[in-house]
Amino acid sequence: MRVARVALDVPLPQLFDYAVPEGMAVVRGARVVVPFGKRSVVGVVMALGDASDVPPERLRAIAALAQDAPPLPEAWLELAQFAADYYQRPLGETLHAALPPRLRRPKPLERAPLAWAITPPGREALAALPARARTKRAVLALLAHGPAAADAPSLTTAAARRAVRELAAAGSIAPHRPEIAPVAPEARFPLTDAQRDAIDAVAAALGRFAAFLLHGVTGSGKTEVYLRLALAAVRAGRQVLVLVPEINLTPALEREFRACFPGHLLVTLTSAAAENERAEGFLAAQEGVARIVLGTRLAVFTPLPDLGLVIVDEEHDPSYKQQEGLRYSARDLAVWRARAVGCPAVLGSATPSLESWTNARAGRYRMLALPERARPGAALPAVRTIDLRADPAKDGVAATLAAAIEARLERGEQALVFLNRRGYAPVLGCGACGWAAGCGRCAAHLVVHLADRRLACHHCGRVEPIPRACPVCGNVDLFPFGRGTQRVEAALAARFPAARILRIDSDSMRAKGRWQSTSDAIRAGRADILVGTQILSKGHDFPMVTLVGVLNADAALFAADYRAPERLFAQLEQVAGRAGRADRPGEVLIQTRYPHHPLYRALVEHDFARFAEALAEERRVAGFPPFVHEAVLRAESRSLDAAIAFLRAAVRAAPREREGVQVYDPVPMTLSRVAGWERAHVLAQSRSRRALQTMLAAWRATLHGMRPPGDVRWHFDVDPIEF
Amino acid sequence: MPGTNRITLSGRITGLDALRYTPAGVALLDFRIAHESEQAEAGGKRQVRLEVACLAAEREARLLAAAPLGAEVEIEGFLAPRGRSSRQPVLHVISFAFV
Repeated sequence: MRVARVALDVPLPQLFDYAVPEGMAVVRGARVVVPFGKRSVVGVVMALGDASDVPPERLRAIAALAQDAPPLPEAWLELAQFAADYYQRPLGETLHAALPPRLRRPKPLERAPLAWAITPPGREALAALPARARTKRAVLALLAHGPAAADAPSLTTAAARRAVRELAAAGSIAPHRPEIAPVAPEARFPLTDAQRDAIDAVAAALGRFAAFLLHGVTGSGKTEVYLRLALAAVRAGRQVLVLVPEINLTPALEREFRACFPGHLLVTLTSAAAENERAEGFLAAQEGVARIVLGTRLAVFTPLPDLGLVIVDEEHDPSYKQQEGLRYSARDLAVWRARAVGCPAVLGSATPSLESWTNARAGRYRMLALPERARPGAALPAVRTIDLRADPAKDGVAATLAAAIEARLERGEQALVFLNRRGYAPVLGCGACGWAAGCGRCAAHLVVHLADRRLACHHCGRVEPIPRACPVCGNVDLFPFGRGTQRVEAALAARFPAARILRIDSDSMRAKGRWQSTSDAIRAGRADILVGTQILSKGHDFPMVTLVGVLNADAALFAADYRAPERLFAQLEQVAGRAGRADRPGEVLIQTRYPHHPLYRALVEHDFARFAEALAEERRVAGFPPFVHEAVLRAESRSLDAAIAFLRAAVRAAPREREGVQVYDPVPMTLSRVAGWERAHVLAQSRSRRALQTMLAAWRATLHGMRPPGDVRWHFDVDPIEF
Repeated sequence: MPGTNRITLSGRITGLDALRYTPAGVALLDFRIAHESEQAEAGGKRQVRLEVACLAAEREARLLAAAPLGAEVEIEGFLAPRGRSSRQPVLHVISFAFV
């Protein structure tokens, strides 16, 4: 009897045995439908054997073999296994997190081909079909003239769909894939020497593993470098994986890739895509039809049999780290994949992560610098600080900044005001008794959203009406403390009544397509002042923006999170990069109480290297990543005491053999309660990644054997970025 | 909570801020009145002149916001501190009449 060991989407660190029915061609990597309890679930076959420890009478059989797609390839299974091992998560859960949702469901996917063509038997059938089979004759007659797109109007009526289905089943027509060649990109400007050098360096490494850090200032033409390299790889018969932080915010990059790789050559994969579309994209890559996969972090799990180049744009972006379920870093997995198949990986950014910077400084990555803007004559913007102690802000805006905005309005240019806080005010408080509106489910304040008169929790999404009076003392004079984009928008509207002001944050851009239409409006000059959050800082060209004003950024200088300054620098450098990208010089004004802080000095001097070196030195001295490796064991419960008690027991049960690994005491997380769940964690650190991994694996095995009390649930987070 | 806090005070409006709204949409008006009167004290008479900060809400706020500077009003209200860290009292309007 043949037995399949199947990985299921359950939080258990084991495979499940199922009997293989006679005649079912099950191989490793096959997706199968199996009975599990009372349910039918999808599993992935990891191994086949001749015997099982499960007694024969209890061994259940595979119900069905998925026929909608070929088995998952070996390299993909190895990727999932690595992710499961490294991120300390059961293999079954990891595999299913890596599959598109549609392929995790037992119902087979109905594949939609791009085009149809008539087959030789189909031509014979056309002659033989009776006259009353009118629709089938019409379909075959159409295809007899040549292949037609599947979404052609004459193939998509209800009757035509039925006819197409029956003709395909009878073998009279077959899916057709037109031959498409990639198109060389049209250069907007001649390549700079630095761009040429970068392209040559990576191109010379095609066919073997090498990691490159492409450190290019804003506007230096990184996209151009990516495109040329992707083209070279595709022409050499390889596939290319391109990761971006958020596709909707970077439509320009997608547009340029689409122009070079039309039709089925490129698929985009994001969590926003429809389920079927995402599954089709995944399979198009697996079957080698798609040559470029462009997507967000989840795209790193796309099977690519001919993978020949990996590109990670804005590699420093925290969104590459998944923060729930399988907590993986798409950037790190992308480099792992490049190493596994033996191809180059290019990590690009104007402000590289300290991890990648350190790797480059240590020679593990090769540094490629694009120190100048690609447009001839274009310079980086002039960055200056405004000392708020000498020039105090009125309604959040200092007189110097207000005058600079005024000047832009007079010249018909655009000004961008950056404030990384949405809503009207971050706190609603009572001046009489000191009460402040808090979220009932999170350890956080509710944010005032005056535009729709509500209080919102930015952590759990809870929404409440704004109270008329203080619930503690009855005072009606409740006051919004602090400043968000809505409040700044209102203040600017009062100060510049004739200006057209656009607010751009995730509240105002929620509707689908809104960001696209808004950025078109900005480019067409239908706005004078833009007020927005970090959405504005992502890879967008707004040629008429010549001024960027940064409001209170100081808080991040003193945050408890040691990554806060790194993120602040990246954000400010990115948003500063919006100023003066065309032929007009840009100006950036940063309002601060600490104009001499090294972070601002480095921004003023456009000296990322100095900032990164200083930050690296601080981290080295303090013993923080990337100079140590970290993982946390996190526990969640309705009761903080229960979570901490479980973690204490977990620490007592931790492996005694853990040389070089330091395990700290359980503590509540900084944001200790979210959506009603109390959260606590234990930090484990080591200078050796291998020692940490060995210890974690042993620890996890022990924990799977422990029964956590009550509602306590736990997980590991390896290379965590949230504490 | 026991305790009496009821003030009746007349005066001339000497300062009127713009009508403002709390985040919940409650209209509030900060204004000042100058009061002058003659009072009996320790068996004699004395002159009283003082200026008092006042706060009106909703209907009263809207009516007072439209009043001209110098208008005479008689206010009935209660005293509350300006803020948690302030001892300065503010007269909160319960009702008022132009006189």
